[in-house]
Amino acid sequence: MQKNYFDKVHRWGILWNIGALLMLLSIPVAVSVYFNAWPEINVLWSVLSKLMLLYWVTAVIEVITYVPMLGAGGTYLSFVTGNITNLKLPVGLAAMENAKVRANTEEGEVVSTIAIGVSSITTTVIIAVGVLAFAPVLPYITAEGSAFKPAFEWVLPALFGALGASYFAKHWKLVPLPVIIGVIVLIFSPTMGVGTLMFVTIVAAVAGVGVLYKLKWL
Amino acid sequence: MDFKESTFMYVIALGVVAFVTLQSVFFIVKSWKHAKELGIEKETLKNTVVSSILFTVAPAISILATVIVLANALGIVLPWIRLTVIGNLAYETTAAQTAVEAMGGTLTSSISDVKQFSTVTWAMTIGSIAPLLMLPFVCKKLQKKIGNAVNKSESAAKLGDAISAAAFIGIIAAFIARAIAGTTSDGVGNAGFMSIAVLIVAMVAMVILETICKKFNLEKLRPFTMPIAMFIGMGSAMLFEAVLPENIVNFVWR
Repeated sequence: MQKNYFDKVHRWGILWNIGALLMLLSIPVAVSVYFNAWPEINVLWSVLSKLMLLYWVTAVIEVITYVPMLGAGGTYLSFVTGNITNLKLPVGLAAMENAKVRANTEEGEVVSTIAIGVSSITTTVIIAVGVLAFAPVLPYITAEGSAFKPAFEWVLPALFGALGASYFAKHWKLVPLPVIIGVIVLIFSPTMGVGTLMFVTIVAAVAGVGVLYKLKWL
Repeated sequence: MDFKESTFMYVIALGVVAFVTLQSVFFIVKSWKHAKELGIEKETLKNTVVSSILFTVAPAISILATVIVLANALGIVLPWIRLTVIGNLAYETTAAQTAVEAMGGTLTSSISDVKQFSTVTWAMTIGSIAPLLMLPFVCKKLQKKIGNAVNKSESAAKLGDAISAAAFIGIIAAFIARAIAGTTSDGVGNAGFMSIAVLIVAMVAMVILETICKKFNLEKLRPFTMPIAMFIGMGSAMLFEAVLPENIVNFVWR
């Protein structure tokens, strides 16, 4: 049973994944054909060589880091809809925590997939409505000097503070090591992208578990 | 009419929105059905839906804000498309900036050359598709390995639980470390008074809300404690900005 369901999810996921790739690539093609404007290869290459060095390498780390945590359906959905670290991952984690189910079980799989799917639709709707209806007003809400600006500027500490508090209360022994390592890394490399930093802190946290387990402190 | 906001571009955007929505609905329906087979209560699933929506609203609005920022140079439709598929805040801004600057422009002025616009479209797309090229080959293998390792025995399952808890904590730790010591390339959101204050307020709010739930047995409120604590954290940022002296609010050490 277990094998069956996960196998099915992977099959659907791969099909949607290929569909998404085709759709994505068709966008620049359509733009180039419709406007009859193809980019100059050398200009495009000079841009891409920079971007790919940065993002294709990060992508490998991201895939290895997120895949075990998002579940199968959640992974295929998250990587198509994006905004993983700041949205899909915390939403999936919070849902599994609330429903008291474990990652890498069928229960965890369905709950995180539903949460991530709902979150994707909500984001898509908010962006679409925002663009179509509120585009003229929105700059005032998030503009310099608006009373609401600080709320959105600090949305990430608020999100991870809320998420962190419930986890930390339960697993306080595991907390100090990854935070300290993360801070040390940032002291030397202050602008490191959060995707890469996360890889370091996860390795630190997991290594910490290994040590605590050996010492029988868990 | 500006080519960046022509009907053609809107048609592409709506197509993308339709694709993403369909995929999400597909997976939700399949998961929902299987959840029933597994005997998960409807109440639990409903709570998952509602709390996920609540949790999503604020971050989605900040994503929308990025769309608006990029709209300066790229028109509103392309950033909308890019942030609906794969897009994420940091990536799209950097990609657009790199592309525009390579052609001698800046993100603050509008692109008027169709060729430049199509170059940016190509660069943003190809730069971001790497994960989709990898997933069909690695996703299943990675998850099978982990599943097998965890389900081998009772003690392996226990260690597996501890490791996945550790991995979650690693993720959160990265963001906390950033609030303590991080900077960003554009200097917005550097570690300082505000990042720490908001982090602490959100944490304390969460602890208080959970305690209230436990004490008064408010099981119904439990799924909403996280989004509510997040909103309290965001509200505190507005409050600090409004009442505290500027030199405290703007105090950063990175």
